[in-house]
Amino acid sequence: MIGRVLALARKELRQLFASPIAYVVGTAYVALTGIYFFQHLVSYNQLLFVYQSEGLGGGGFDQGTVPSHINVLNEVFVPAADDFGLFLLVVLPLVTMRVFAEERASGTDELLLTSGLRPFEVALAKHAVTYLFVVLLLAASAIYPAVVVSRAALGFEHLIALYVGQLCYGCAIASIGLACSSFTSSQIVAAVLGYSIPFVLLDFAWLSNAVSEPVARALGEIALLGHYGSFPRGVIELREVLYFASIAFLGWLASLTALELGRAR
Amino acid sequence: MSLLPAAGLVMILVGVASHYATRSLQGFSAFPAANVALGIALVLVGAAARARAFRGFSGAASRRVALRALAIFAAGAIAAIGLGVASRSWTARLDLTVDRLYTLSDQTRSLCAELDRSGAVAIELVFFEDALLAKDARLLVAAYGAACPRVSIRDASRSEPPAGARALYTTTATTVIACRGGVCDPVGYPSERNITAALLRLSSERSPRVFFLIGHGEVDLASESDGGYSGLAALLRDQGFDVRALVGPAAAEGPAGADVLIAAAPERDLLPEEIALLDRWLESGGRMLVLAEPGLRSNLYSDLLLRWGFDLEDGVIVDAAASPLLENPSPLNLLVHLFAPYHPVSRTLSRRTMVLMPTTRPVALARKPQPDDRLERIAFATERARVDHDLTRALAGRSPARSDAAIGEPAVAAAGSYPRGGTGAAGEASAAEARIVVIGDRDFASNRLIGALYNRDLLLNAARWLASDESRIALTDKAWTPNQDPLTLQQTVAYFYFLAFALPEALLLLGIYAWWRQRA
Repeated sequence: MIGRVLALARKELRQLFASPIAYVVGTAYVALTGIYFFQHLVSYNQLLFVYQSEGLGGGGFDQGTVPSHINVLNEVFVPAADDFGLFLLVVLPLVTMRVFAEERASGTDELLLTSGLRPFEVALAKHAVTYLFVVLLLAASAIYPAVVVSRAALGFEHLIALYVGQLCYGCAIASIGLACSSFTSSQIVAAVLGYSIPFVLLDFAWLSNAVSEPVARALGEIALLGHYGSFPRGVIELREVLYFASIAFLGWLASLTALELGRAR
Repeated sequence: MSLLPAAGLVMILVGVASHYATRSLQGFSAFPAANVALGIALVLVGAAARARAFRGFSGAASRRVALRALAIFAAGAIAAIGLGVASRSWTARLDLTVDRLYTLSDQTRSLCAELDRSGAVAIELVFFEDALLAKDARLLVAAYGAACPRVSIRDASRSEPPAGARALYTTTATTVIACRGGVCDPVGYPSERNITAALLRLSSERSPRVFFLIGHGEVDLASESDGGYSGLAALLRDQGFDVRALVGPAAAEGPAGADVLIAAAPERDLLPEEIALLDRWLESGGRMLVLAEPGLRSNLYSDLLLRWGFDLEDGVIVDAAASPLLENPSPLNLLVHLFAPYHPVSRTLSRRTMVLMPTTRPVALARKPQPDDRLERIAFATERARVDHDLTRALAGRSPARSDAAIGEPAVAAAGSYPRGGTGAAGEASAAEARIVVIGDRDFASNRLIGALYNRDLLLNAARWLASDESRIALTDKAWTPNQDPLTLQQTVAYFYFLAFALPEALLLLGIYAWWRQRA
């Protein structure tokens, strides 16, 4: 089984990087994260300048004029992490939309399923390759924060926590996109679904006025953003990792179900 | 998939996005609501149409495969949801912050263990989820809920604060209020220090009474300037002490109602009857903390303390390895990092937990009043330090580099415990034990320096030991390592050009190459 999964995964990987879309998506993500991280860093530098300015009564670091809550963590990393998550939401459906839908549209999905590969293995391989792409995207974007961490006293461990959160979040978004792609033969529909569902799941605050408080609380437990806040602050909580793992698992299960239903028809 | 569901999804997206864009202006309005409602309707209509068009499976075997797949999906979904619900109460976490900001300190943990052992009434932390600082505070508050069995967390909304906490909810920044029984305590800024201080205040059955001796030129407890000592009084109150002023112990009450008397660097002699009153009070098991300072002359040091075993020779400790931390580095600014490892006041301090003491008077030990008394030096300057008795010369920075009177490791603080047959009831041995702590510097407790390094820890440890509150002697919570100004603006721009353009450019070129290969 492992051999078959690996063989399919290698094929998927070749297909992914043979297409320009992976590079365009990677470029867009890396550029967006770089620009926004840079903007946060510049704003932070400007804030420090204001506090240090003698004209406003400051006296530089010697006098301890910069309050402790003005620091790289609060002013750069936490807001940047929110931006990075949003960019993952923007770029990942462009990658996931073709994974299953393209095979369905071209008819090669039947070929795949009659080649001796089980739907379980097909879904596993395709999901694994997409998650690997998420890892590569995050690795490329980690260069900016790593540079800052190497200079500041934030610690690489903290950066690891941030990127574990990004990875969990990205894999969850990707699995939703893959599940949507597995139910349709149109890449456009897959993309629309891949954007809509995570966007709606992001935060249910817009429903809070229309539903009762217990329902609002329950929806809050489902919302993606509510489970993401601890990672940028340097804490990896087991229950949050389980939450994103559950979404990834459900997405994989949905893809498997779609393949089985297709086989049944 | 038909056009209707796609259009419906677009309308839902537009509705949600427009709600977020305008909610601060006018709350939930008709445009977003109409879009969301119509979008849901279109999705349902499209789904119904698709369901009606479904022609079913080709045979029994196909139906079995389909049903099995759906059953597996349903089971997996139930398992995932069940795991999600069960894990909500799990608190396992990895705190990877540099300062372990969200891991409770030893002091907090020992307080929680003490609350659990005593079976005290539970304390409730009311956490306002929608407060301005809630996102930052949530992890810390959750740590209390996980580590402290007698502390529970109650989520609240600022629109409807709980009855007991309503009066204390003053601003949108109010994030945590601690309540026990019907009594609530405002925590202030939601830091571990403040939350633990609130727990201390609420859990203390009786606040230890600390009297400050005043009227002899002692430090100004009301002054909030850098050289004032309002922070000292505020610190003790925050930690659950009942702080009062004792205007001359010759007053009718004397220090009899005090658990601890603090003589913070008196500059003048006390009256003979005051000295006698203090002496009698100590003989009956009184507890006193004395802050000294080079150059001060008072019979408190030369008479009373000498009788109780402390020799505060006038002079200042000079150390070539002194601290560069202050704006005028000088060999008089001691960075004290040598502590007695077993004394309750100093055993939690070490080489890694330094105390900054500018201009410190040496505290030497004299003859013990009684054989059973215990005197111990608890904090020391380095082996290169010595005492310069010429204050004028020393303060002018002209102490000789070498001196025949070199002492090596002169003590900056000492403590004494004196078992006495006091008036305490049988079994209350510690109540009849007099205790004195002498620290040779007052500036370390000033507003400017009390928050520096571990200055407050030394002071609080002394106060707690004197108040027989040893169980709460532990390091206070961690200081936040400032991580400011990692890159200058110029460096930021330089890194940006190198990374934010070069890397995307490289990826784009790779993509062009991949596309060309594909076409070829």
